[in-house]
Amino acid sequence: MRGAGRRFLGDSLGLVLVLATLVVFFGLITRHFFSFTTLQTIVNQIPDSLVIAVGMTFVLVIAGIDLSVGSVLALSGAVLGVCLARLHWPLPPAIVACLFTGLLAGTVNGAVTVRWALPSFIVTLGMLEAARGAAYLVTTSQTQYIGEPIERIAEAGLFGISLPFLIAFLIVIIGQTVLSHTTFGRYMLAVGANEETARLSGVPTRMVRLSVFMISGLLASVAAVIHCARMSAADPNTGIGYELNAIAAVVIGGTSLMGGRGSVANTFLGVLIIAVLQNGLVQAGAQDPTKRIVTGAVIVAAVIVDYYRRRSGGLTARVGG
Amino acid sequence: MCSRHLMRMCGALLVALTVVTACGCRETTDKPRIALIMKSLANEFFMTMENGARDHQKAQADKYELIAQGIKDELDVSRQIQLVEQMIAQGVDAIVIAPADSKSLVAVCKRARDAGIVVVNIDNRLDAEVLREKGVAIPFVGPDNRKGARKVGEHVAAQLAQGDPVAIIEGAPNAYNAVQRRLGFEDACNAAGLDVVASQPAHWEMARANEIVSGIITEHPAIKAALCANDSMALGAVAALRAAGKLNSVLVAGFDNISAVQGLLAKGEIVATADQHADQLAVFGIEYALAILRGDTTPADKETPVDLVTRETLQGGVSGALATGAAG
Repeated sequence: MRGAGRRFLGDSLGLVLVLATLVVFFGLITRHFFSFTTLQTIVNQIPDSLVIAVGMTFVLVIAGIDLSVGSVLALSGAVLGVCLARLHWPLPPAIVACLFTGLLAGTVNGAVTVRWALPSFIVTLGMLEAARGAAYLVTTSQTQYIGEPIERIAEAGLFGISLPFLIAFLIVIIGQTVLSHTTFGRYMLAVGANEETARLSGVPTRMVRLSVFMISGLLASVAAVIHCARMSAADPNTGIGYELNAIAAVVIGGTSLMGGRGSVANTFLGVLIIAVLQNGLVQAGAQDPTKRIVTGAVIVAAVIVDYYRRRSGGLTARVGG
Repeated sequence: MCSRHLMRMCGALLVALTVVTACGCRETTDKPRIALIMKSLANEFFMTMENGARDHQKAQADKYELIAQGIKDELDVSRQIQLVEQMIAQGVDAIVIAPADSKSLVAVCKRARDAGIVVVNIDNRLDAEVLREKGVAIPFVGPDNRKGARKVGEHVAAQLAQGDPVAIIEGAPNAYNAVQRRLGFEDACNAAGLDVVASQPAHWEMARANEIVSGIITEHPAIKAALCANDSMALGAVAALRAAGKLNSVLVAGFDNISAVQGLLAKGEIVATADQHADQLAVFGIEYALAILRGDTTPADKETPVDLVTRETLQGGVSGALATGAAG
């Protein structure tokens, strides 16, 4: 355990450095960045992105990609919104319907990818379109205002920490444990490093691929519940571009786009970096073009810093290096 | 033998087709065909617009035929140009269009005019400069977004004191109506002496507005109002304020009067929005096109109503909206 702990610290140092630099920078250029409100805002805003990013970490680890998460979030949220606001269902069955929608979308992604051996890029690109269309269809393109029934989720909490954050944090811990301490985790790393070798060694590669896309879809719908709770509403236009944000966070966290290597804990830091950046830029009053240029630059810079730290730390020889 | 048989079959088919199309044409020659070309059907506003137009057509099916088309999202400009070209090719009598881009659509609208088609511009105004350059006049039928936003802003300002800090949450900065609404909000703030301490675009999106408003209230804790260029963004703003426990100290206003904000208006969590009668907007354009086709009127701009909606107007709202609809 001590070894693992030290390895995590060593691995994450570059990211912590980037994060600290950003916090200090925004602390200096704005008046109120060092405040409890900022912390509260970030804690309130990251759970949905975090949950999606955990699923995306798994997908990237097996050398796949899931472009549909933003649309699947919108569709699952739309189902949740319609069940609650229009059909007046109680909360538990509405949440089940929402989670089922996400799981279904993920299953379709996985099954099509596996059955016809297609690149997940193109399959999930199709789902990105289809799920968005379905979201407009179920809501008839109208934002569903849910209000009180769902707000309970956002307001609930333990020791002043909101329930959505606790759920997201729990998912991070479970995700990291699965990845580094279970057979399924080792299978994922093996499939990502070299699928053919993994298959010949007896890894059920098709099953692993299918499961990973199912998990990603399901987590997108968990994120949808959290998202709708935060907004008190389900907007069929929401979640556009979330897939790219999630991929950015995961890659900042050092997970390889080539697969075979990844860390959920570092994805957490990646999500935090993006959240701090977006929050800081708003507080600094940056205009839209500036915001986009800075965000793009920081994403690339964070990956570069991480690259050099890995080199100097000599930690590149791990699975799939 | 076989090929001759085939030839005869084809010939018969051709004749049949010609007869069918000819009949089709003859049936419709006395009824003008009007094409309604809208922006994103993903947007509740345009859905309402389309449904309003369809209802209107159903009610007077003997007067005209309607072909309603929309594009995938508001950025799909080239697809909208294609749609106009298709309508020209189909030889419709009039095109009523809500352009996705105020400049790029001018050229194709001119082509339609040159083909003898009546063109009426609704919702988003075509750029006056480009129209002048192309030497074409296209009447605009629609609301004055700046005036509407000003009304909303004035309603908010009336509840604030001079010098109070406020924020403006803008729509997509490249859209004409987003700019008009921002200007309208600014007009109201300047007139009332309010201090606009932050003005940022959230691209019409709820989630983005939520993030931006969260940031703004942290940096400017004294803020008294958030003026949002549409209702989706107002919903995002309300959620941000609720999370920060500031719902009672900050006024939120929106624009469009979508169904999702009705409850919030009644509760006072959103203090005002503007209704441009989306369901009537396309109808105004269609009726105007029909009038031009009949030769009843010469093409000129026509302003449609924008009404302030607050908790007070909601109570007597239905009759009020109907009255304006009838007036238009």
